[in-house]
Amino acid sequence: MSAAQATAARPRVRRRSEISERRLAAYLVSPSLVVIAAVAAFPIGYAIWLSLHQYSLIHPGLVRWVGLDNFRDALTSHAFWSATRVTFIFTAISVTLELVIGLAMALLMHAAFFGRSLLRAVVLVPWAVLTVGTAMMWRTIFDADLGFANQVLQALHLPGSHTVWLGQNGYAMAVLIFADVWKTAPFMALLLLAGLQVIPDDVYEAAKVDGATAWQRFMRITLPLLRPAILVALIFRTLDALRIFDLPFVLTQGSNGTTTLSLYSYQQLTQNRLIGPGSALAILTFIIVMIVSFLYIRLVGGNIRALAEET
Amino acid sequence: MNRKLASAGAIFACAAVAAGCGSSGGGSTGNTVAGVGSNAKTVTPDMAKNPKGNVTWCIGKDTTGAFSQVVKLYNQQNPNAHAKLLELPTSADAQRTQLVQREQAKSPECDILGMDVTWTAEFAAQGWLRDVTPAIEARKSEFIPSTLETATINGKDWAVPFNTNAGFLYYNSSKIKTPPKTWQQAYQMAKTDGGLGYQGARYEGLTVNFLELLYSNGGSVLSSDGKKATIDSPQAQQVLSFMQQGIKDGAVPKSNSTWMEEESRNAFQNGKVAMLRNWPYVYALAKQAGVKFGLEPLPKFGSGQAASILGGYNLGISTYSKNPGTALSFINFATGPAAQKKFFIKSSLPAVLTQTYNDADVKKAQPFAPQLLTAVQQGKSRPVSPVYPQISEAIYNNVYSALSSGTSPQTALKNAQNQINKALQTF
Amino acid sequence: MSTEAVAQERVGTGARVRARTGRRRPDWAGKLLLWLGVLVTIVFCLFPFYWMINTSLKTGGELSTGHLFPHNPSFDNYSSIFKNGDFTHALRTSAIVAGGSTIIALTIGSFAAYALARLRFKFKFLILAIILSTTTFPPIAIAAPLFKLWTDINLYNTYIGLILPFLTFVLPLTIYILTSFFQEIPKDLEEAALVDGATRFQAFRKVVIPLAAPGMVTAGLLAFIFAWNEFLLSITLTSSANRRPVSAAIAFFTGSQQFQIPLGTIAAATVVITVPLIVLVIIFQKRIVAGLTAGAVKG
Repeated sequence: MSAAQATAARPRVRRRSEISERRLAAYLVSPSLVVIAAVAAFPIGYAIWLSLHQYSLIHPGLVRWVGLDNFRDALTSHAFWSATRVTFIFTAISVTLELVIGLAMALLMHAAFFGRSLLRAVVLVPWAVLTVGTAMMWRTIFDADLGFANQVLQALHLPGSHTVWLGQNGYAMAVLIFADVWKTAPFMALLLLAGLQVIPDDVYEAAKVDGATAWQRFMRITLPLLRPAILVALIFRTLDALRIFDLPFVLTQGSNGTTTLSLYSYQQLTQNRLIGPGSALAILTFIIVMIVSFLYIRLVGGNIRALAEET
Repeated sequence: MNRKLASAGAIFACAAVAAGCGSSGGGSTGNTVAGVGSNAKTVTPDMAKNPKGNVTWCIGKDTTGAFSQVVKLYNQQNPNAHAKLLELPTSADAQRTQLVQREQAKSPECDILGMDVTWTAEFAAQGWLRDVTPAIEARKSEFIPSTLETATINGKDWAVPFNTNAGFLYYNSSKIKTPPKTWQQAYQMAKTDGGLGYQGARYEGLTVNFLELLYSNGGSVLSSDGKKATIDSPQAQQVLSFMQQGIKDGAVPKSNSTWMEEESRNAFQNGKVAMLRNWPYVYALAKQAGVKFGLEPLPKFGSGQAASILGGYNLGISTYSKNPGTALSFINFATGPAAQKKFFIKSSLPAVLTQTYNDADVKKAQPFAPQLLTAVQQGKSRPVSPVYPQISEAIYNNVYSALSSGTSPQTALKNAQNQINKALQTF
Repeated sequence: MSTEAVAQERVGTGARVRARTGRRRPDWAGKLLLWLGVLVTIVFCLFPFYWMINTSLKTGGELSTGHLFPHNPSFDNYSSIFKNGDFTHALRTSAIVAGGSTIIALTIGSFAAYALARLRFKFKFLILAIILSTTTFPPIAIAAPLFKLWTDINLYNTYIGLILPFLTFVLPLTIYILTSFFQEIPKDLEEAALVDGATRFQAFRKVVIPLAAPGMVTAGLLAFIFAWNEFLLSITLTSSANRRPVSAAIAFFTGSQQFQIPLGTIAAATVVITVPLIVLVIIFQKRIVAGLTAGAVKG
């Protein structure tokens, strides 16, 4: 507001540069907006359109309008709610584990005063390796008969060395979560490490002088100051986990309670060629993810505004 | 009284022919599909005379070079015509997607379509195939009758069989002295003599394995008019309970529910199981690995008739082909005695012509050819329907749930029945 | 990352080391725990990658065993994947698609990022929110309609057919990272150029871009890695071997036999793809971490 008053009070030269600033901004931003509208907004719109129709599998080229029937069928189907439940369970457990393990790794890396670069590089490896490739490796490692996992259990005389990891309810989900945690806990560690490194040492020194134990220092200083970083990490990871596709696709193809929402929609769409119902499922997945991200933004909201208003 | 005599006579006649006349309720009854055949173009045998011009053969990867060789031979013998091979990806699903995409775009690129037997009905329903009934009629006696079933819909033929496949029971001859004659026997022997394996993962292979027992027990998936699901039956419950019990008893290892073809083959070759149900391709590999084994056609379920599920590929002519006559001429060549023999010997692709199995060279290269012929003749096809992918999914999802998660057979089959009925009502 | 944080990081390491060793007696139990923790972390992070190398050197029957070291290591798998045209095609496709989308995203993204970071205009918050929200779209919601649309207009199984949808996540990512980087460049330099008589665009070209080069490298690298890893769109929108990116190709690798799943070649292919990425990651690790944490510290 003061800028506007100032603008009004200034000579015309100022206003011209402001207008040209806005025009420049328009030129600079519009290509991106156009591209995003084309490749993100338009397909979503088209998906909604497809979901309101049914495409015949028997009579070629025949289409008919069914309104919200596909959505009603999805929302009353056992498979959809099962996929939703599986997705949320997976998200809750894996994100929690990633946060805890990531935080532990971050604290470790923060405390380690040797080989920092090496550690950082090592920690980036899981993130850099092709997901599909490692998923294939996990599949062989957890193979029931000759997999490395069972061999290790057998060698250590631990129970469960004949577990059919990828063929039993519960165990399949455990392997899925394990594979995801392996890939992303290091990523979380890096995000949290950056947050840790901003906390000035003096605060810790002062607390030590006051006689605070390590645990107290952690709970009263580290965690609160780390809150912004934790929240950002949580948002990204939660939204990613809700959309997970490649791990269940490669590891189990969705067997034994690992069919996530994305996988379920994909199967209906491509394997069964059910374009209408498949699109409806994709849209429902989209809506669910949007709801969760909206809830998160409500919680964390101020930060994005701050970023925008920083200039 | 009259009806009883008539049906008795029919059964007698069937037995005399010794081909797999589907026992009532078994096999691919119900090749009746709505919408198929209304505006299809027909291809007659005389169109194949004097072949000329270009045709393209679209089929999966030529892993042994046999496809290219046959194309070259054809071109040599028909100087006015030029056939070309277009390789599709190795995976069946990818092949289907590629063919579907071309046909949906009404592309004339593929004249001859190499289709898995389970998609032929779908392609015919979509109007992508030409009616080849006259061409088949002219050569009917050459083909093994069961191989024609997957291409026959609404009484018309929509493709020509190209190669076939039937399941076998492999057994480790050092552990199993006399192969079992019934599944019950097999499972009994498995408990003490080293286990039995099959393809129990949650995919199409499980449908195949389940149907092999179901059909042998006299069960069925669809009614004879193809309009209703009939899978929830006492026969089916009996079979599913039997399979479930097999895993509980330890006759079938628990890890079987993660096995596809390759995993089960490895388990057999490593001695983890003493008996294995799998396709003919295992023969050469197991022999290479030095395993001492025998093989025989599948056992029967109780007192029923043994039923192996037919795999394989058919060749169809695209509606959008610009050269259907030459396409038919090429198909006749590729499904003729010389080419079939080459495919069988070089690529282990079981032939669709009866005479190939009696050829001396073939018998030398594939010593189990006579057993394979029997298996194919007794073979049954999976339900022929344009919504086959969904039907199969309904079957394998629910069978898997019963075998791996302990769902009761009653619940599993009820769900399968509902899902199949829903799929049949697909618009 | 804010300048203070960057400074802190560069200074902090040394200062902290001095502080620590100067003030306390080394606590050997704590040190042991630390070493143990570091060891566990290293094993945890590197083991599957080691397993991949291990598998890629095995052949034949040994592939179905769980040996920790290959008994007869051989490079057969590596030679066979390069002999097979499919893999080299997949590499080329991935390079074109990931590279193409990254370049496009860097170009138009840097313009947008500059505007968002420097200029004042209405709706800035809304635009930023829209751009960021597209990163949350589930890929299946994009893949489903495109599967049908691309088939209808003949973009199915083409390079462009992949580059366009890849922009959905590559573009917002680059804008997000570049905006942070642009904000760190001190305004005074630009103001000085403007005072000297340069236009906004000249200031942008001569002052901002050179300073933003590290940011561009980071954004480009991150975008490339994400695009390289993309799986769902890659398998849905392609079908032939010569148009499939590596992630899709590996998932559908087949062996010489009809039903074979060739673990050895899959492992070799993954190693071949991953090693250059790891090298890049090691070289640029500081930048990558800075880029990934751009939002976190600001946060």
